Amino acid sequence: MKDNLKYVGDPKAQPVDGLDKVLGRAKYVGDMSLAGMLHAKILTSPVPHAKILKLDTSPALDVPGVLAVITSDDFVENGPLGFPIKDAFVLAHKKVRYAGDPIATVAAETLEAAEAGIKAIILELEELPTITTPEDALKEDAPLIPLEAPQKKGNLCDFLIVRNGNPDPVLDVSEHKFNQSYYFQHQEHAYLETEGALAIPEPGGGVTVFANDQSPHINRFNTASVLGLPPEQVRIIQPPVGGSFGGKDDIGYQLTAQVARLALNTNCPVRLILSREESILISYKRAAMSVQLNIGMDAAGNIRAGKAKMVMDSGAYASMSPLAAWRTTMHALGVYKYEAGHVDTQVVYTNNGYSGAFRGFGSPQAAAASEIAIDELAHLAKTDPIEFRLKNIIRKGDVAFTGNKITYESGLEKCLEWVRDASDWNQKKDAYPQADAETLRGVGVACYFHGSGLGGEGLDYARTTIKIEKDHSITLQSGMTDYGQGSRTVFTLIAAETLGVQPARVHMLRPDTQTAEETGPTVASRTTMVGGNATKVASQKITQLLNLAASDLLDCNPNQLLRDGEDFIGPDETPIKFDEIVDHAFEMGLQLSALGYWQLPEIHWDFKTGTGTPYTTYAYGAQVADVSVSRETGAVVVNKVWAAHDASKIIYPNGAKGQLIGGIAQGLGYALMEGFTFKDGYPEKKNLFQYKIPTALDMPEVEVNLIETNFPDGPFGAKNIAEPALIATLPAIANAIFHATGLRCREFPISAKWLKEKI
Amino acid sequence: MKISFTLNSNATKVDVPPKTTLLKILRNEMGLTGTKAGCEIGSCGACTVIINGEKKKSCIFPADKLEGCDVTTIEGVSAPDNKPNDLQESFLEHGATQCGYCLPGMIMAGEVLLAKNATPSRPEIKEAIADNLCRCIGYIQIVDAIEATAEKRAKGKGAA
Repeated sequence: MKDNLKYVGDPKAQPVDGLDKVLGRAKYVGDMSLAGMLHAKILTSPVPHAKILKLDTSPALDVPGVLAVITSDDFVENGPLGFPIKDAFVLAHKKVRYAGDPIATVAAETLEAAEAGIKAIILELEELPTITTPEDALKEDAPLIPLEAPQKKGNLCDFLIVRNGNPDPVLDVSEHKFNQSYYFQHQEHAYLETEGALAIPEPGGGVTVFANDQSPHINRFNTASVLGLPPEQVRIIQPPVGGSFGGKDDIGYQLTAQVARLALNTNCPVRLILSREESILISYKRAAMSVQLNIGMDAAGNIRAGKAKMVMDSGAYASMSPLAAWRTTMHALGVYKYEAGHVDTQVVYTNNGYSGAFRGFGSPQAAAASEIAIDELAHLAKTDPIEFRLKNIIRKGDVAFTGNKITYESGLEKCLEWVRDASDWNQKKDAYPQADAETLRGVGVACYFHGSGLGGEGLDYARTTIKIEKDHSITLQSGMTDYGQGSRTVFTLIAAETLGVQPARVHMLRPDTQTAEETGPTVASRTTMVGGNATKVASQKITQLLNLAASDLLDCNPNQLLRDGEDFIGPDETPIKFDEIVDHAFEMGLQLSALGYWQLPEIHWDFKTGTGTPYTTYAYGAQVADVSVSRETGAVVVNKVWAAHDASKIIYPNGAKGQLIGGIAQGLGYALMEGFTFKDGYPEKKNLFQYKIPTALDMPEVEVNLIETNFPDGPFGAKNIAEPALIATLPAIANAIFHATGLRCREFPISAKWLKEKI
Repeated sequence: MKISFTLNSNATKVDVPPKTTLLKILRNEMGLTGTKAGCEIGSCGACTVIINGEKKKSCIFPADKLEGCDVTTIEGVSAPDNKPNDLQESFLEHGATQCGYCLPGMIMAGEVLLAKNATPSRPEIKEAIADNLCRCIGYIQIVDAIEATAEKRAKGKGAA
């Protein structure tokens, strides 16, 4: 696709905040300290489930250096927390529900004094039975984990459905009736920077908090409400964030409220940075999930109908699990043609830590199960797995299993064809399986769709502001945040392109609730698409004003203006510098600031009937993994991955490439090494020696192809990539292991021990 | 405890509690926050610095071993005027930055490798950064950045 874009899509575009990071100059929240700053520490629950009988914090105040200690009593209505289900508290109220549940927070002059303060607190608990599986949680006589049952059905946190036609009669007459179950363990985010917040009391009774959270405006709203302050008295500033992947959402708001309360109580700055052990203990995980798929296929290998039953282990709190479970439900049967499809997803409370948002947001579990199932069906149909997919995938004009029509171009077919050809699939498919070899080799494929934006979760909008000052500086700001995914670069490139100025001239401010417009959450890989459009709208408004000033200066109509680089050219063909036009605009009294608002077209999903349109459009992709399995040890080595992704127009190519490869790394960890498990409600892994994430040595070489399709509603045509990038890796590896060994992995992470025994 | 050591080419004296670590000295006593804390038990590599030409995890490097050492941190590798050096520049050119938290440690590991091995292979680069965890980028662009710098430095030497 030939276009005349200068900065958008430039393969040489560099990260706008990269320089500070490579120089070690970027100040993360843990790098900030202030005179008189206090250090905070949290008392966490030693047991998975108990009633709080006594919580006496007064001995902590007798510890030298301790200045304040808070509990749920220090917040309005005990500090309720949570969306969409408000079942949590800033600090545990009445009971503790998981091992690591925060109970009280101490602020002291030193970290050592804060630790001593924590030890001095008198805590008496009455232990309750620990519920470790959703099955036990749903039993009639199971003790209730939340204070109130949100569905009036015990520990059932939420349930989600799809009802598209009636699959049962179709399944009855299908030649192949496939029925299989899959299980996925929890996954820890393991961002390199742990969670933290620094609160500074303000003279007028308010508070400013630097927090490494995801969505500062949501943080402000939560913090103000639990502190009983008007929202404008709470200011949240987001410094550079050392990774999030969905993980610094709720917990960021919880920690912010704690340090804000402590700062107001002591009238001192208070900083709380979780240690790695605390981060792993306290923070939420990707939900463990079981998936049962029932798919009918005819003798010719056409998929006809499907049913999915899924159970998500939400752990102690709902957090984002109900919404993640909705996304799971919307992707349960995969990107294939079905005459009818039903899905039933239960979200269930247990005492296994708690689950929340993590890159992919429920989609990885759903896609992994369905992509392994599709591989199993291809095997049943005696068809090549890629050929089988090409035959059954949905294309533009087809209807998804959720009942909605695919209305925009899909790059899925091209993605599948590219990974097939680039990986030399056909040759490897035949040549690899050698039953007597010491090292068994195989290739596997998986593909996916992933709904773009929030979809039926809610209104999908964003706001960006841009202004040009009298000194010609251009600043850009959004409440949408960059925790590493590169959106600051994306927004800068879009603004530069639209304004016709060098990207280096555009300075993007940090998110600050006092100056940035409220813009919804930074989630769902929606930032480029929705925030990018808002940035474009704001830039267009400024450009219009500049054109007005230029036409006034050059005595012509705005439509007679041309641009050459940053210069404006009128009918007399003399180039006028950008800065001169800005000066003239100020002379004319024009205000060179603009707010851009944009929202995705409204769609509707009916949660009660399980019908509607879940998403405006989808991102698509496919991956092939080439693996070796050691016959002796069962160890799996991924030799190479080929990954194709359709995010439509790519704005920041090096960033998109990094998103895709980084997603594959997380997917590889999810497949082979990262199970986060609980024993009797206690986490079995406490640090990064025990919880292994992929290192450079685990990472295969990766060949990527970003396939551009047409999505006219995106900024310059862009869609999403961050979350879907990791979806295909786990099932592609599992399917490659099947090719190599003939063994079907249906429980994850894949155990080398299990493979060794079975080979 | 009084310690004398060389920090980023400057003779340095500090008076610190006996059981502290180099990471704490750098961040809390010297105000050099470029070296990051990711785990404080030596499991993630975010705190990697160069001591006497070797990469070391500063979070587990005890203060009492610091006497007389030559320490380089991320603040000490940049070109004059706080400009990026060629390796740091290469990270930017390859888009090898996402959240940035692992980068100071990665860059130190990269510098140690390049000082010892002017023409490392890709597996050797991976080996050299294997103790440095990154959760964002999947390592490949980091390997690319180090590889390209090695080539550039080798070329520069050939020309000189």
